[in-house]
Amino acid sequence: MKRALGFMAVTLAMCVSALAQDTITLGASVQETGALANTGRYYRDSYNFAVERINERGGVKVGGKTYTLGLKILDNQSDSNLSVRQYVQLLTQDKVNFLLGPFASDFALADSSVAEKYQVPMIQGGGASDQIFNRGYKYIFGTLPVASKYFESTIAMMGKLKPAPKSVALLYADDAFDVSVANGTRELIQKAGLKLVLDQRYSSNTSDFSTLISQLKSGNPDVILVSGHETEALNFVRQAKSLNLNPLMYSFTVGVPTADFRKALGKDSNYAFGMTPWVISSANKDAYFGNAEDFAKAYKARFGYDPDYHSASAVADVEAFVKAIEVAGTLEPTKVRDAISQVNFPSLYGTIAFNASGQISLPQTVIQVQNDQVKAIYSQSGMLAAPQYPMPHWDKR
Amino acid sequence: MQLLAQVLVNGVLLGGLYALMALGLALVWGVLNIVNLAHGALIMLGAYVGYYLFTLLDVDPFIALPIAMVVLFCVGYLLQAGILNLIARAAMFNTLLITFGIDVVLTQLAQMLFSADYRTINPGYAGANFMLFGITLPWVRVLAFAVALLLTLAMWLFLLHTRLGRGIRATAQNLGAARLYGVSPKRIYALTFGIGAALAGGAGDLYGVVSQINPYIGATLTAKSFAIAIIGGLESPLGVVVGGIFLGIVESLTALYIGPTFVDVASFGILVLVLIFRPNGLLGSTT
Amino acid sequence: MTLRTKFVLALAATLVLAALPWFAPPTLVQFGIATLLLATLAQGWNIIGGFTGYASFGNSVFFGLGSYGTAIAMVQWQLPFGVGLAFGVLLSVLFALVMGIPVLRLRGHYFAIATLALSQVMTAIVSNLEIAGRNIGLVLPLLNGDALFYELSLAVLVLATLTIFWISRSRFGFGLIAIRENEDAAASMGIDTTRYKVLAFALAGIFSALAGGIHAYWITFIDPVSAFDLSLNVKMIIMTVFGGPGSVLGPVIGAFVLSAISETLSTEVSSVASLFFGMVIVAAVIFMPRGLADLIRRFRKTGWRYFSENVRSHRL
Repeated sequence: MKRALGFMAVTLAMCVSALAQDTITLGASVQETGALANTGRYYRDSYNFAVERINERGGVKVGGKTYTLGLKILDNQSDSNLSVRQYVQLLTQDKVNFLLGPFASDFALADSSVAEKYQVPMIQGGGASDQIFNRGYKYIFGTLPVASKYFESTIAMMGKLKPAPKSVALLYADDAFDVSVANGTRELIQKAGLKLVLDQRYSSNTSDFSTLISQLKSGNPDVILVSGHETEALNFVRQAKSLNLNPLMYSFTVGVPTADFRKALGKDSNYAFGMTPWVISSANKDAYFGNAEDFAKAYKARFGYDPDYHSASAVADVEAFVKAIEVAGTLEPTKVRDAISQVNFPSLYGTIAFNASGQISLPQTVIQVQNDQVKAIYSQSGMLAAPQYPMPHWDKR
Repeated sequence: MQLLAQVLVNGVLLGGLYALMALGLALVWGVLNIVNLAHGALIMLGAYVGYYLFTLLDVDPFIALPIAMVVLFCVGYLLQAGILNLIARAAMFNTLLITFGIDVVLTQLAQMLFSADYRTINPGYAGANFMLFGITLPWVRVLAFAVALLLTLAMWLFLLHTRLGRGIRATAQNLGAARLYGVSPKRIYALTFGIGAALAGGAGDLYGVVSQINPYIGATLTAKSFAIAIIGGLESPLGVVVGGIFLGIVESLTALYIGPTFVDVASFGILVLVLIFRPNGLLGSTT
Repeated sequence: MTLRTKFVLALAATLVLAALPWFAPPTLVQFGIATLLLATLAQGWNIIGGFTGYASFGNSVFFGLGSYGTAIAMVQWQLPFGVGLAFGVLLSVLFALVMGIPVLRLRGHYFAIATLALSQVMTAIVSNLEIAGRNIGLVLPLLNGDALFYELSLAVLVLATLTIFWISRSRFGFGLIAIRENEDAAASMGIDTTRYKVLAFALAGIFSALAGGIHAYWITFIDPVSAFDLSLNVKMIIMTVFGGPGSVLGPVIGAFVLSAISETLSTEVSSVASLFFGMVIVAAVIFMPRGLADLIRRFRKTGWRYFSENVRSHRL
């Protein structure tokens, strides 16, 4: 009996080590619990989904040898200090080969220092703040578009609306990402010759907007641009309704593309403008998922909720690693890092290629909730659909 | 002028909801000497009760309010009878620690059961409003304010004029005194904590109508409740209402004149000042 | 055990700990840094909470000021780390003196809530300060030297523990304990309670600030929420109370044991780690409210009845 057990243990150990040899493991620490769990799950699910699919399609080929892709995800409990420690653990104890990112700019800011310290590339799809990329770090890559340009397409679209909006109010949360957005947006507003009637920073996680909304009512801007978190967008819309705030349009950096937003607000989500770097269209071809539309369907079937750009961005991170490893023909981190900086391939998320500072450049498509559906309204190529503008007064809906 | 008036009204209405949030905390603290760090989590649970009644059974949030209170009363009663009574005579740190532990457990369970999705209780009239002297008044906030006042009044009458209420007040002075009213201290403790939790549940239901809900809203609500309870004083429910409205106004004016990022500096700064200079609350006796 | 053997044992343990970076894997070193810093924080809390009996929620402010002092000096003024650390300690001591005098007049829960509010106020103030990078935070220069951070943390912990050892046998320490047991009586015995309490608060501040400064440089990024994290303060309390408040080594042992549990949970069961941690806290408070030190001392005599007796003596 003892011998049999011993034998089994040895075989098992051999299997494991054989498996380990042929596996390339990606590691990530994401928010599965804690305040950011709602968005963190997009990353957890998408990483898993992408890794599964890539393995089904034959894995990763490196120098004539086929590897399966492995994935190790830890829960950072929405605590950025813990996430830093977990990334070190992933590299030194779990011996993962490469790093995928967490959600949110402040996490990416902290965690990218681990990648830089250990000189192992991290591709992250959850942080867009300019600060992540302007420190001269070489091992951090990002697949969310540049924060300062989030409102670029929205402001371009505003030039084409009738009656043309003249005045703008800019509200933004005080975290790294939203301040980057606001700094960029301020310039864009000026360039477009619009009048900035209110330029207001507020605390992250503000739940009461009644004072701000009263100020907006008395300043009466044509357009309200809000750069904040999804919870804040939800509270803002609800309180705008209850205080009868009626601008010609309002737009939010985050929240609008998610199914959660529409579910939580119901009819009140209508007319809200937003943006997404990712359009669910069959034109976005993908080597593993067919195209973006097929991906969205498969994703919904697998996880029970609709994907948004966070999911697509996360999948793109995994695919970028596969591409870069195959091109590099080695698992050596520095070589793979160089290969990542050179990738250029189409994916369900769009064309993946990184600029000198390591960030993708993807244009934002303006979207609007129309009759409880998200509609793509405007992109670089022009109007895609008629915007519902100006938005009707709350009491006339 | 118009803007100032509107902002003041906003502050008062917000204050009513604040008061209801803090009422239960103040009761539990004042009577049981338990600083309940899980109070916000109880508000969160109340919000979820309201949410599920509304979305699954189509129950209007104002009708759901008493149901949420009953459910949370049971939760509170069980927590006190099953757990907190076990350490009622232990050192002060221990009640702080255990309520913190309970807060963590409740929050995590909420995420498992309800997911981290953002929810709202959104009946058709949720955004309805009316105008009075050029000031916009959201119906829901006005109603929430009225409910908060009513519950406070009810609490006050209950504590003053019922046998059980007098028993509870006596317990606040002296643990043994409860026996004089023919109730065992164990039951008084559990009942008091249950009532505190019920008030939190009611506040949560209303909170879900004006704001969004997720499992993690509790922490900030606990902190707010402390500020209100201390500013108003722990002695009487009416003080808590004054504290709530005071804080609502201060926050609104701070947001208007200094900036929205200074709201927390103002509210918690005032809390510290009140503690230092008038530890029994703004209305409390000065001794 | 005589004091002498205890001392020899502690010295041996310190030497083994000091040698750790030379043979342990990097993850363990990293875990070591985090744990040593937590133990230092717990010792800081031990001075004001364990000895003096004041349940401070303001120790995370000391940690935050230490972090920000170091970060501001290094990032905004390009000063060396050592100077930053000193600046952080200075800020923290100033805070202890200025806020300690009025706040330490409050007793019981009122003191706890006042310090809790102070930590909220400090978070909010720092997130409005240009020099502190507002709510965005500050990125510190990258230093690849975990062994250095480890030895530094160990040194600070040893310093803190020696200080507490001294406190436990000094007039000052007896004064603090007298305040804890009965403040009015202590005052009538001629103890200058205000001075004692403020001194204890400031001492706690020094060690917490040192831990904060080291942590900031090690983790390389700080923002107000992570620097003034209230749950860190709760951890200090839990570790101290779990280990044995008012003892010399209890908080250190509490920090090591609980860190090990929490680290194991967060890697093994990841997404239910916080749930378990919450349950551990609840269970620990119910069954061993006087900490590990008391458990070890009395368990041999009472056996399993220890737990039921605890419940019996504290329940209503």
